[in-house]
Amino acid sequence: MGKELLKTEGGDTLLLLGNEAIVRGTLEGGVRFVTCYPGTPSSEAPDTFFRLSQGAPYYFEYSVNEKVALEVAGGATLAGLPSLCTMKHVGVNVAADPLMTLAYVSAPGGLVLLSADDPGCHSSQNEQDNRIYARLGGLPCFEPATAQECKDMARDAMLLSRKLETPVLLRTTTRVNHVRGPVVTGDLPATPYEKPFVKDPAKYVPLPASARVMHKRLRAILDGLVAEADASPYNVESGAGELGFISSGVSRNYLSDVLEEEGLVGKVRLLELGMTYPLPENRIAAFLAACKKVLIVEELEPVLENEIRALAQTRGIEVEILGKSEHLPRLGEFSTANVRQAVRAFVGQPAAVVDALTVPGDLPRRPPNLCAGCPHRAAYYAVREVYGDTAVYSSDIGCYTLGFLPPFRAADFLLCMGSSISTGAGFARASGKPVVAFIGDSTFFHSGITGLIDAVAYKHDVLIVILDNRTTAMTGHQPNPGVDTTIFGENPNPVDLMALIRACGVEPVKVNPLNHKATLAALTELSKQTGPRVLVAEYPCPIHARRVGQAKKTLPARVAGDPAACLTVRDNLACPAFAMVDGQFTINAEQCDGCMFCVQLSPDLKPGKKEAK
Amino acid sequence: MTRARIFFTGVGGQGTLTATTLLARTALDAGLPVTSGEIHGMAQRGGVVESTLLVGGYKSAIIAPGEADVILGFELLETLRALPMLKRGGFVVGNSEALQPVGVCLGRECYPPLEAVLETAKGFAAQVVLVPCISLAEQAGTAKAANTVLLGAAAACGALPFSVADLTRSIEKYLKPKLVDVNLKALALGAEAAKAGQAA
Repeated sequence: MGKELLKTEGGDTLLLLGNEAIVRGTLEGGVRFVTCYPGTPSSEAPDTFFRLSQGAPYYFEYSVNEKVALEVAGGATLAGLPSLCTMKHVGVNVAADPLMTLAYVSAPGGLVLLSADDPGCHSSQNEQDNRIYARLGGLPCFEPATAQECKDMARDAMLLSRKLETPVLLRTTTRVNHVRGPVVTGDLPATPYEKPFVKDPAKYVPLPASARVMHKRLRAILDGLVAEADASPYNVESGAGELGFISSGVSRNYLSDVLEEEGLVGKVRLLELGMTYPLPENRIAAFLAACKKVLIVEELEPVLENEIRALAQTRGIEVEILGKSEHLPRLGEFSTANVRQAVRAFVGQPAAVVDALTVPGDLPRRPPNLCAGCPHRAAYYAVREVYGDTAVYSSDIGCYTLGFLPPFRAADFLLCMGSSISTGAGFARASGKPVVAFIGDSTFFHSGITGLIDAVAYKHDVLIVILDNRTTAMTGHQPNPGVDTTIFGENPNPVDLMALIRACGVEPVKVNPLNHKATLAALTELSKQTGPRVLVAEYPCPIHARRVGQAKKTLPARVAGDPAACLTVRDNLACPAFAMVDGQFTINAEQCDGCMFCVQLSPDLKPGKKEAK
Repeated sequence: MTRARIFFTGVGGQGTLTATTLLARTALDAGLPVTSGEIHGMAQRGGVVESTLLVGGYKSAIIAPGEADVILGFELLETLRALPMLKRGGFVVGNSEALQPVGVCLGRECYPPLEAVLETAKGFAAQVVLVPCISLAEQAGTAKAANTVLLGAAAACGALPFSVADLTRSIEKYLKPKLVDVNLKALALGAEAAKAGQAA
C-alpha cells in the first residue's frame, strides 16, 4: 500500500490491512509524530508510516525499545503534537512505567497508544489481555473489529485524545491487525493541529503533591467519559427478546456470523461494544434490565464480564450473566466454531456436530526454521561443538529463538525481550554451571545492555554471544541503532557495538560466524575464561543483505563426493537447502544461499562451479 | 456462489498472501463484500502460511474446521494438512508438487504420497484438482508464478466466484507491468491443466 494512504481528499475505497487502516485513521485524526518498537502483530503499522515518511506530515522513528518510544511520544504530545506510539502487547510491559503516569501528566497534543494483543500466541511468548492496562493506567479504550473500524476508531481515538488531552488506548488483536477489507477513507485535516506548550510544572511534574491532584483530575475525566461511551456510535444495540449477548472487539465478528447462520438475528438482543473503557454503564444497565439472561462474548480475560456483573449488582438488576466459566474459554483465540457452541448452549440448542475430514496425526511438521545461509546456524553449530550439553543456554527474543529446535537445542530458558544476559547471569550465580546467553543486536540495544552492565558490576560468570546480523530480522528487517544501512539509505551515525561493550567493561571478541575455524578458536579461548565475556558473531542477515543490495552473488554449494558421507553435516546443520532426492543427499541450488558454511565441515561438499559455456 | 469461504495454505515465500490479496481485489472489483485474514510472523521462515478470504458478507476472517467452501493448497503436504477445514461438497485445488520440510530431509519423517490427498478427500469433496504448479510456472517463465498457476486452475474448474477472465483483468490492473505477461501465461497454463485434469 503506497501513497494513496497520504491522499488529502477522502472518499476512496481502499483494500487495507487492519494495520494500514490504522495508519490512515491516525492521519485523518491529524497525527504528526509517530514512534514505535516493531513486533508482530503490530509491525505493519509503523512499517507503513516508515515507508511513507519522506515528505509526509509527521516525524517517524523506530525507537530503541517501547519504554523509550512512549517517552519520546510523550514529549511530543507535551510539545503539542498529535502523537501515536505503536507496539505489541508484551511491549506495553516494557513501557508500563511511563504509561502508568502518562495519563496523570496528560497529553496536550493528543496521544494514542496502539497495543496489538496476540490471543493464541501466533508469534508471542504469552497472550496477555491489555484491556486491563486501560483500567490500570486510566486510558479510554477502543476495540476495533474490522479494517474500516481500525481506520475510523484510530481517527476518533486521536480526536478524543486531543479533546480531553488524555492518552487513549487503541487495543487490537492479531486477527484485527491482519484482517484485510475495504476501507472508505475520510479527508485529512486541512490545518495541522498543535497546542503550544505553556510552562506549568504543577500540571506536568508529578511530585507527590501534584500527582494527587492529577489523579483526581484523571478520575474526573474518566467519570465524565461514561456519558460519551453511552452515546458512542461504536456501541450498537440491535434485536429483541429476553436473551442477550454483549461482545467487544473481534469476538463481535464471530458472534455476528454465528447469529446469522443460526437464524437468530433479530430474535435475540445484541449489544456490540467498540468503545469499552470507561464502560457505557447506563447503556449496559438498560440492556441488562431488558434481558432475562445475558452471555458475554469476549476473548481472553473476563474483563467486561466482571465489570458487568459488578454493574448489575450495583444497580440491583436481576439478570443471569454468563461468560467464561460457563461457556467460553479463557485461553486462546475464539472462532465461529467455539462461539457457535456457546451460542447454541445458551439458547438451549444441542451442540452442533462438526462434519469435517480427519487427516493422519503423524504428518511431517513444518516448524519455522533458521533460513538457508543464516549466520546464526553457524554460530550455534560452533557453540555446540565447544560446549555440547555441558552448558545451559539462555535465549532471547528474535529469529535466533528458533535455535531452540534440534539439532541445536540452543535455548534452555527464555523470559522476555532482553532477558538472556541477566537471566543467564542469575542462573550461573545460582547453579555454578557454565551459561551461554544468546542475544541479537536489536535486542541487545532494546534492553540487553542493562543485563551486561549488571553482569560486569557483579562479575557474573556468563558467556554472552551477540548474534549481530545487522538488522531486526524477526519483525521484518527494521533498522536498529547499530546498523550501517537501512532500506532507505545509509545510517550516518551507527552506534558502535564493540565500543559500547568495551565501555561497559568487557573487551569483546568479534568473529564472522561463517568462518568456522576462527569462530571455533575464539569460543574455545573464551570457554577457558571466567566472568562476563562477550563474543560478537557478526554477519548480515542474507535476506536483508539481498534487499538492500549488499549481498554478493555466490554460487550454491554442491555435493562433490560421496553423498552418504555428508549425512552428518545434514544432521548437524538441518539447513533448509538440504534435500533427499531418491534417497541421496543433495543440495537444492534454488534454496542454497551460498554461505559456504557446510563446505567447511566436509571434504565431500564443495563450492559451486561456474557452468562451462 | 453468493457466499464463499476460501482457505489458502502454503509455505512461506510461495506467494500465498499475494494470491489472497489479488483475489480480494477481484472480489472488490466485482462489487462483492469481502474480508480476508492472514497470519504473519513466524511463517516467513519456512513455516506454514495460512490465509483466508471470505466473500459475500461474512464478518469474521477465521475459518473453522468443516467451514471452507474451497481449499487452495500451494504445497501438497499443506493441502493434506488443511483438509479438515473443508466443508462437505467443497473444492480442493492444489499444487501436486512438494516442498520437503526439514524433518523429511533429515529422514526423521516421511512425506505423504499424492494419493493421500485424493484418498482422504474422496467422497467428501465435490472435486479435487491437483496440478504441477511449480513446473507449469517454470514453463511460463518463473517458478515464482506458481501461485498464479493455482489461481488459474481454481477459476477454470469453477471453485471460485470469479472467472479466468476476471483474474486476467486483476493481473493486468494490480501487478507490476513487468510481471504481467509471465503471470498471464501462468494463469492460462493453470487453467488448461485443470480442464485437462477434469476431462481425464
